[in-house]
Amino acid sequence: MKHVFFLDGQETPFIPGQNVLEAAIAAGQDRQIPYFCFHPALGSLGACRQCAVKMYPHDSKHPPRITMACLLPASDDLQLVTLEADVHTEHREIIELLMTNHPLDCPVCDEGGQCHLQDMTVQTGHSVRHYSGPKRTYRNQDLGPLVYQEMNRCITCYRCVRFYQDAALGEDFGVFGSRNRVSFGRLEDGPLESPFSGNLVEVCPTGVFTDKVFRHDYVRVWDLQQGPSVCPHCAVGCNTTPGARLGTLRRIRNRQNPEINGHFLCDRGRYAFPYVTAHSRPLQPRLKGETSRQEAVLRQLASRLEEGRSGFLGSPREDLQSNLGLFALADCLHAPFAAVTSSWAEALAQQCLALPQAPSLQEVAAADRIVVIGDLDSIAPMAGFAVRQALGRGARLTVLASSRTGLARKGDYRPLRPSALPDVVSRLADDPCLQGGRLPVLLATAETLGPAGLFALRKTLEKLPANARAGAFVNRPNLFGAAYFAADGHTERLQQALRQREIHHLLCLGADPLGEDWGAGTWRTLSPGLDGLALLDMVDSQTARAAEALLPVAAFPERAGLFVNYEGRIQAFAPVYRREAQVLHSAVHGSAFPEAAGGMKHPLGPPPPLFWLGRLAELLQVHEAWQQRLDFYLHFLCPTAPDPESPGVLLPDTLRARFAIAALPTTPTVESGQWELDIFRWYGGETLADTAEDLQSLAPLRGLRVHPDVQAEWATLQGPCGQLHLPVIPCEDMVQGVIAIDQEGFAELGLYPGDPVEVTWEQGS
Amino acid sequence: MKVWRNFVDLGAGLWTTLRQIGRISTVSYPEEPLNLPPRWRGRPTLTRDPDGDERCVACQLCSAVCPTRCIELQAGERADTRRYPLTFRINFSRCIYCGLCEEACPTLAIQLLDEFAFSKEHHADFIYEKDALLIDGTGKHPHYNFYRHSGVALGDKDKGQGINEKAPVNVRSNLP
Ligand code: SF4
Ligand code: SF4
Ligand code: SF4
Ligand code: SF4
Ligand code: FES
Repeated sequence: MKHVFFLDGQETPFIPGQNVLEAAIAAGQDRQIPYFCFHPALGSLGACRQCAVKMYPHDSKHPPRITMACLLPASDDLQLVTLEADVHTEHREIIELLMTNHPLDCPVCDEGGQCHLQDMTVQTGHSVRHYSGPKRTYRNQDLGPLVYQEMNRCITCYRCVRFYQDAALGEDFGVFGSRNRVSFGRLEDGPLESPFSGNLVEVCPTGVFTDKVFRHDYVRVWDLQQGPSVCPHCAVGCNTTPGARLGTLRRIRNRQNPEINGHFLCDRGRYAFPYVTAHSRPLQPRLKGETSRQEAVLRQLASRLEEGRSGFLGSPREDLQSNLGLFALADCLHAPFAAVTSSWAEALAQQCLALPQAPSLQEVAAADRIVVIGDLDSIAPMAGFAVRQALGRGARLTVLASSRTGLARKGDYRPLRPSALPDVVSRLADDPCLQGGRLPVLLATAETLGPAGLFALRKTLEKLPANARAGAFVNRPNLFGAAYFAADGHTERLQQALRQREIHHLLCLGADPLGEDWGAGTWRTLSPGLDGLALLDMVDSQTARAAEALLPVAAFPERAGLFVNYEGRIQAFAPVYRREAQVLHSAVHGSAFPEAAGGMKHPLGPPPPLFWLGRLAELLQVHEAWQQRLDFYLHFLCPTAPDPESPGVLLPDTLRARFAIAALPTTPTVESGQWELDIFRWYGGETLADTAEDLQSLAPLRGLRVHPDVQAEWATLQGPCGQLHLPVIPCEDMVQGVIAIDQEGFAELGLYPGDPVEVTWEQGS
Repeated sequence: MKVWRNFVDLGAGLWTTLRQIGRISTVSYPEEPLNLPPRWRGRPTLTRDPDGDERCVACQLCSAVCPTRCIELQAGERADTRRYPLTFRINFSRCIYCGLCEEACPTLAIQLLDEFAFSKEHHADFIYEKDALLIDGTGKHPHYNFYRHSGVALGDKDKGQGINEKAPVNVRSNLP
């Protein structure tokens, strides 16, 4: 049955349980109800008293009364009015009260133009301030490099605390003071600790919290070019709205996708975008390290490929079409192709794909029994956020990890060595932590759990009730897309071909096999056999510096493409802007004229990988076959191309099924008394994000984390591919016998999480 | 009565006209300078505040309101967090001297002063950059300084030292 109430005589539909304001906003009929403290994701509070409506009771005994729409449960045939004089007076007077202390800041306030307070003030018609007394002022706090505070502008709606403490379960932000002196911030100056701090910028309806990174290169929102995009920094695939001007990317805002990121984004998703403008980003084709003309580089590369002794390496960091384009080219040339850089990563990808349909983040937030394996917050922060939402609704959380992570503090923490995980996971089905729940959900960081652990997870899931769900996360946006053609020992075959000198040239797409990708150690030992290496990428990396031919590619907001997220959801993103040289001086005024009239053409940014691959296919005279294969694979994987504005389409289960046979991978055995490795990450760390300066200023120290019972200042680790000398960082939260290092360290050593390692401890350096 | 009144008005008008006979009101511009009324809308310029700093805070209201879209600017930030236009350009081959930018400007930075006749050989020369727009004076408003009214702290002006501001509150106090 359809439920409706009447707002100014207009039918407004609602879902039972909604309040009047929520229903009116959802129906787009909130034009007459100004509000501040209500937020669709944070709920009602009744603090601002702004959302008054007049309610006419059904009977004639009670007089009509003014009440707060956000606190009034919607009920059938409710008669509400906002267009009467007394309601309007209330709106006007409340906003005038809220504005008494508001500073004259709009011209220098970054919220201006997208400010809820501005909108509401205009909407209620409050244009003249009657109060002429002195205004209250506050001192601001320095909240770190990401969020800027200007406390004078506060209207005490409490949205910020409700977000930071109640939704994101952050502990270092709160409300201070009493009566009209309340202030919102940290106890002391210092960077906000939550991985979700950037959302303060969006939840605050005024300019108290504004984007500090955007501030340095600010432009009003009405001059921004915006469009639908997808976050490229982890497997969750949150929907974003990048904003650009004059050919440079200025900021990222959340784009709501109710099944994934709702109203929020993590700080990596919001603040990692400066990889696009990083100085180190390659923008010109390079040949042997020298900037070169694109035709020359292409021709050189084509002649290399023509020799027929090339291998092809794709990447889970690149989008679906580009990987398919590379795969199709390899196919045309009958050359070996791999989508990931090591057999371990390949097994990992296969096991991830073999898992049955993963829960959407919306489902995670509704779960009541949750097991988290590894440091979820630092791989896929928004998945950690969904767990926090579930916790807020009373879910029971168990965390299996080798250190007390942010989430572990919120639930039951079981300290475990990574090598023990597969065993523990395989016994989870009978574990009390999952018993008695309505909707059990298991979330794992794929790397920590490892292929064997993921296999165990799949087996456990079979024993759990049918509605139990599991998801595995990586910090790559397209592992699932790349993994489809990662099957069956491709990587091993590629490396074998290199070892046996069947190939001596490698064409890589968005991969860093000589730098920090998994298995880089192995590639480094193989690299003497490489005559040449060509790379298509958008960031500077060790591989880019070593490459013989480098073709720069467009960054994600600069092109269209498809990512397949951890659920197998194919999401499209659209080009938001065109990278152009910023015209800053009149010396280039000629550029305003068309080329035909003698004007200079704007230098355009790098093209997408498919452009380069298409050109290569042309030069190799296989363009038609290449295009056919590309279209065929694309149609096979995604018969209906999703729209960037749509919530995406899920991969069909039949495609998943072929991975279900993936066998139990072998695991290294760790003797007791041996040191074992786990991965250390932080929420802002990821290949692209690593070039974003403001975000990286928060990065934790590089080093080797170990329980403080080890008395050493330095340590040398020995792996099959090399050794590593690192400072020791004592860490209370670590499990004894476990050493945590970053991915670069793993690449250096040629080892994987859960592997035993030889250590020598040293005093001094 | 009414008709009579009309005749008086008519006569007054005629008298005003007749009074001009013999006076020379044609000015031989450009040899002789013009005496323009103070509200004349000439070429927009950027002015400075009484302390000599540029007034513009790069709020982009002028560029948003300009009906011919001839203003383009990019905000910059000084070390002391003061906003200023990194670049500011007006394309005077498009400007129609409507004055809307001046009306929109909250800092009284952009002002249409008295320059009205300027000719160039090329269109491109009509694009004035900031150095050509910024003048060394306060224009028509000698006293206004936006930052004294705004709530943000800047340079030597701390919180609470602006016009009509209380001293910063002590947020640690719990006194009623
Ligand atoms: S800081 Fe912003 S979100 Fe927080 S109470 Fe003030 S106005 Fe509301
Ligand atoms: S959770 Fe992942 S996809 Fe979402 S914003 Fe953060 S990095 Fe991007
Ligand atoms: S005077 Fe009118 S047309 Fe000229 S710059 Fe100002 S707003 Fe634009
Ligand atoms: S409106 Fe005034 S302060 Fe704002 S950008 Fe234009 S000139 Fe500068
Ligand atoms: S939105 Fe209803 S009282 Fe604030």
